[in-house]
Amino acid sequence: MAAHWSSENVVVEFRDAQATAMSVDCLGSHAVLSGRRFLYMVNLEAPSEPPRKIGRQSKWDVGTVQWNPHRSESHVFAASSNQRVDLYSWRNGCGEVHTSLQGHTRVISDLDWSWFEPEFLVTSSVDTYIYIWDTRDTRKPTVALSAVAGASQVKWNRKNQNLLASSHDGDVRIWDKRKPNTAAEYLAAHLSKIHGLDWHPDNEFILATSSQDNSVRFWDFRQPRKYLNILSCQVPVWKARYTPFSNGLVTVMVPQLRRENSLLLWSTLDLNSPVHAFVGHDDVVLEFQWRPQKEGSKDYQLVTWSRDQTLRIWRVDPQLQKLCISDVVDELVDGMSLTVETEKSLVSQEPDGQFSVGLAAENLQDQDGSLSSVVGSGVPQTLQQEFSLVNLQIRNVDVEMDALNRSCVVSAHFGSHQVHLVVKFPAQYPNNAAPTFQFVSPTTIPSATKTKIQKILTDTSLQKVKRNQNCLEPCVRQLVSCLESDVTQEDGPVSGPFVLSNPVTPALQAFPRVTNTYGSYQDANIPFPRTSGARFCGAGCLVYFTRPITMHRSAPPTEPTPRSLSALSAYHSGVLTPMKMRSESQSTLRLYSGSPTRSDKDTVSISSFYYKERKPPISASRRWSVQTLCDWPKSRRFKTKREDFGSRTIKLAGKVIVQEISCLLPVHKSLGDGYILNMKDIQETCQKNAAASLTVGRRDVAKVWALASAATSQDLSPDSDPDTETPWARHPFGRHLLETLLDHYSHMSDVQTLAMLCSVFRAQAPPPDSFSLYGLHPARSSVFSSNHSRYPSYTSGSVTSGSCSSTSDSITTWTAGRDSEHGNPWGESSPDDYRHGNQGHTDPRERERELHDMNKRLLDPANTLQFDDFKKCYGEILYRWGLREKRADVLKFASCPPEPHKGIEFGVYCCHCRSQARGTQCAVCKRLTFQCAICHVAVRGSSNFCLSCGHGGHTSHVMDWFRRQDECPAGCGCHCLLQSTF
Amino acid sequence: MVSVINTVDTSHEDMIHDAQMDYYGTRLATCSSDRTVKIFDVRNGGQILVADLRGHEGPVWQVAWAHPMFGNVLASCSYDRKVIVWKEENGSWDKMYEYCGHESSVNSVCWGPYDFGLILACGSSDGAISLLTFTGDQQWDVKKISNAHTIGCNAVSWAPAVVPGSLIDQPSGQKPNCVKRFVSGGCDNLVKLWKEEDGQWKEDQKLEAHSDWVRDVGWAPSIGLPTSTIASCSQDGRVFIWTCDDPAGNTWTAKLLHKFNDVVWHVSWSITGNILAVSGGDNKVTLWKESMDGQWACISDVSKGQGAVSTITDTQQNEQ
Repeated sequence: MAAHWSSENVVVEFRDAQATAMSVDCLGSHAVLSGRRFLYMVNLEAPSEPPRKIGRQSKWDVGTVQWNPHRSESHVFAASSNQRVDLYSWRNGCGEVHTSLQGHTRVISDLDWSWFEPEFLVTSSVDTYIYIWDTRDTRKPTVALSAVAGASQVKWNRKNQNLLASSHDGDVRIWDKRKPNTAAEYLAAHLSKIHGLDWHPDNEFILATSSQDNSVRFWDFRQPRKYLNILSCQVPVWKARYTPFSNGLVTVMVPQLRRENSLLLWSTLDLNSPVHAFVGHDDVVLEFQWRPQKEGSKDYQLVTWSRDQTLRIWRVDPQLQKLCISDVVDELVDGMSLTVETEKSLVSQEPDGQFSVGLAAENLQDQDGSLSSVVGSGVPQTLQQEFSLVNLQIRNVDVEMDALNRSCVVSAHFGSHQVHLVVKFPAQYPNNAAPTFQFVSPTTIPSATKTKIQKILTDTSLQKVKRNQNCLEPCVRQLVSCLESDVTQEDGPVSGPFVLSNPVTPALQAFPRVTNTYGSYQDANIPFPRTSGARFCGAGCLVYFTRPITMHRSAPPTEPTPRSLSALSAYHSGVLTPMKMRSESQSTLRLYSGSPTRSDKDTVSISSFYYKERKPPISASRRWSVQTLCDWPKSRRFKTKREDFGSRTIKLAGKVIVQEISCLLPVHKSLGDGYILNMKDIQETCQKNAAASLTVGRRDVAKVWALASAATSQDLSPDSDPDTETPWARHPFGRHLLETLLDHYSHMSDVQTLAMLCSVFRAQAPPPDSFSLYGLHPARSSVFSSNHSRYPSYTSGSVTSGSCSSTSDSITTWTAGRDSEHGNPWGESSPDDYRHGNQGHTDPRERERELHDMNKRLLDPANTLQFDDFKKCYGEILYRWGLREKRADVLKFASCPPEPHKGIEFGVYCCHCRSQARGTQCAVCKRLTFQCAICHVAVRGSSNFCLSCGHGGHTSHVMDWFRRQDECPAGCGCHCLLQSTF
Repeated sequence: MVSVINTVDTSHEDMIHDAQMDYYGTRLATCSSDRTVKIFDVRNGGQILVADLRGHEGPVWQVAWAHPMFGNVLASCSYDRKVIVWKEENGSWDKMYEYCGHESSVNSVCWGPYDFGLILACGSSDGAISLLTFTGDQQWDVKKISNAHTIGCNAVSWAPAVVPGSLIDQPSGQKPNCVKRFVSGGCDNLVKLWKEEDGQWKEDQKLEAHSDWVRDVGWAPSIGLPTSTIASCSQDGRVFIWTCDDPAGNTWTAKLLHKFNDVVWHVSWSITGNILAVSGGDNKVTLWKESMDGQWACISDVSKGQGAVSTITDTQQNEQ
């Protein structure tokens, strides 16, 4: 960890100020502190002088105060108070409000002066609007950005005068003030409220956000999906701002204990550990700002205001600034650091521990400034630092660290075994000096295992110290994995009776530890798991599961369930917050912890969100342990729980309940079984179906069947002559009635009735032409063999378009026999029904008849495909019910558009040039591709071939031949009739 | 009457995250934080543990049964970033395929309509959606839509193979070319529709209404009507019903079903697509039905843990 310099220059206490906000002007001469009754003007050149006061009459605290950053307007500052912004001017030692900006309807959350135009100010409010004001015209805002959600922060971009960013709960929006209607970009940045937002001082696209979710994230808003980098802390981060010098970042955290350091300086290049901690404030830092650099000075000054009512000015000298630049250098000067470390580790043995480290480092710097970069490196250099940074959140393992005696005791409990291991660190550690490992009683593992583990540990530590690296954490993890595998071997994988122990508590907690554990931040994107759910399954079941009744939610029911899985681990970090966040944080606490004893957090599971573990209270010192979810795979928690609770086993899994809900559905299984579709007697079909629907209580459907019966009666059957009368379908009670019925049942989603009606009415008026259904096809060749030839027939029509359709004809005919699912789409109608128009419908009488055929059908032919879908969907449901024959019955009435031809297509080798050809003419030699084996004339029309020997010819010739012969006409000896049978 | 026909004690050692029955309603698959998937035979009100599938290294979030024409195939997805496809062969369940192509928790799996073969959509917290297609002979083809949802994808649901609308306008009699489509919901508060064009997945529509993470989406089964319907639910407690009558599928209108007081985790459509089951953080299950005039009403309330759906209107379909 970084050293604690005391580079603080000035401390001034303003006991009565009660200021909530602070701002430093652009000249660096004044700071304004805003209390409720007065604004205090502190002269930063002589801060201990009594401040000047500006009185104010308001019952509201000042929300935000900010000086205008432009030199020309350096006497102006803005202070927000509830819904209003007051613009003060400070001249000649006295100040007054010169104007007020009113427009917001709810409290103003933030304000920011433009970096480019001195007159422009942006304000954000809970009222969901963000207003940009021109202070020359204060009547109304010049631009209003409507964000829908209330904003907590708003900041102008420092490089682009049109851009600004606002935060809304966990989200950030980037705005272009020229396009006020909608945000230019949207970052779902954090899981909980964003407290701080800061643009990069030099990069137009980069910003940093700090949040209640214990992290600072860095974003390039051009890549809104993924943050550039993350700084994971274990406590909420109140503010994170870039430093005026390169690569620095100052954060204010909200520590658990008031006195803990909360003000840290980081290098953005290495977020593993802070570069510096500003130690001094006794309470939460409310505001910090940089004083502009003075001419000729290389120092920067940080002005901070804390709830301890002191204003402090900290000097950040070039050495400290340099620490933020890069630690790549550190790796390079590894050799140099060697000597430094040795000295330091010696120093750290002195009684006053870590502070002396800092002093030593400072001394070193004084002696040799070039070494300074080494000190701030992210790699812990001393044992003390290692102890404070080590990440030993390991289940079943406890580590007591004693930096003064350079030793630590690792205790682990695995199964029935206990292990106690003393690790002693030599003075030179970690510079090529490995610690020693010694088992002490009451260690219960066999001595063979002891020897083995000791060897492994020694090896591991040697490997590390050879490279001057710390080895405690790798060693402990090695130990755990050894023990774990041993126990698993002994007890078998199923019943490891693990005794729970709580993870380690590091001895030192100088500042919130930074962990880079995978689980903690990745989980932020993972939705909080469902613990109840309901699904419709099968044909009429509802399967649902809920949490067991024993699992009460620890949170009051008014709290919403968190959205992300990381809420679980956040809960385990124990949250405390400064006053501004208090109300929010308390609810968070309530949400996560059901009872005060809930402070132990050895395990995290979704279930722990819900139920109160009955375990003895664990001492508060364990509040630091975080068991992240990524440890799950290794855990044996479930078995453990059983063991621990014995008879008091708490059921974590509820029952899964299957409920029959088919009565809620518009379809009925019993009807599916009871309905018939008898083509020969449609009247009877309708009557029986009416009776069936009465048995399930569907009187409405019974009536529909009665209507269907009437509509399909013989008296109404249409005349084939279009001139005699208007077909019944054209009557209001014809097609129109049916359409109304279908519409009604569509609204009810009663696919059963729909499909059955469609089937019956289709049966009643069998399609006059199987092809006309699919629109009016162009002329097709007239080959349709009603009695299947045993030869596959290949038709080479002279018309090119004809050859395709006839191919598919034959395919359809074949599949009909094989595939019951496709069925014979034409049901029981005889082949005579099919008409095969030869050359299209040139005859007007033909056309009229065609039209009449359409007209006399009760189902509108235009919707045939939709009707087919009803049948298919109903067929699916019948299938789920296990009524496969009924399904086949219904699907017979589905029109079956010819499948796109995907089956066998016969290729031909041209008999002249032997090149591959398709169709009758060879593309290469332009001659007709094949000859009849019988008449030796080229074949253009219908032909048949033997699939075995490949010989064949004109269909008529081949048929003639095989009436009398068995063998191939070509004389090849093939028994074509036998060979080609399939 | 609505009646409980089975109560299955799964003996999971930690909380259950999903339960689903197969096509015929004879088997039940459950998955849990205890990292297992269990399959029960639940015929005739019984419960026989058929398989206890271990293979995931983290909590298992969701399971999905494939259509029975592919055999008994089950997919599961987990916190451990894996998707596992399990298959029953000769009575024993084994891993058929393990997919590890995601970089974060896989939150949702859903099998496509059987017309498209064995195809699985997986939505992950890494923001990507993977489409795994079985190409036969132990081979799976993987297509990945990266950055489908900012921060993460929480749910996927396939459109029925029958694409309504496109049917009506088919000019010729050719079988309409079924387009593969699915819907997804994610942490960018969006519901997105995807479709395959020339073998590539493309974002088709972006539906915006939720103000927080979308937790589940469900494309309603089609009964052949020219309307597509999607339900979506969110952390914000809202459930929206999206409908589209436009044959091109471009105009979707949202209707708020209800605003719940807690997160809504799951939506599920009945087989006829007219009842929606909604469940969420309040540990309750409610059933919603669209009336003839297009209004959605709650028809039942499954009180927590008590196991009884009390139907408010039980005879709604007899009111003719």
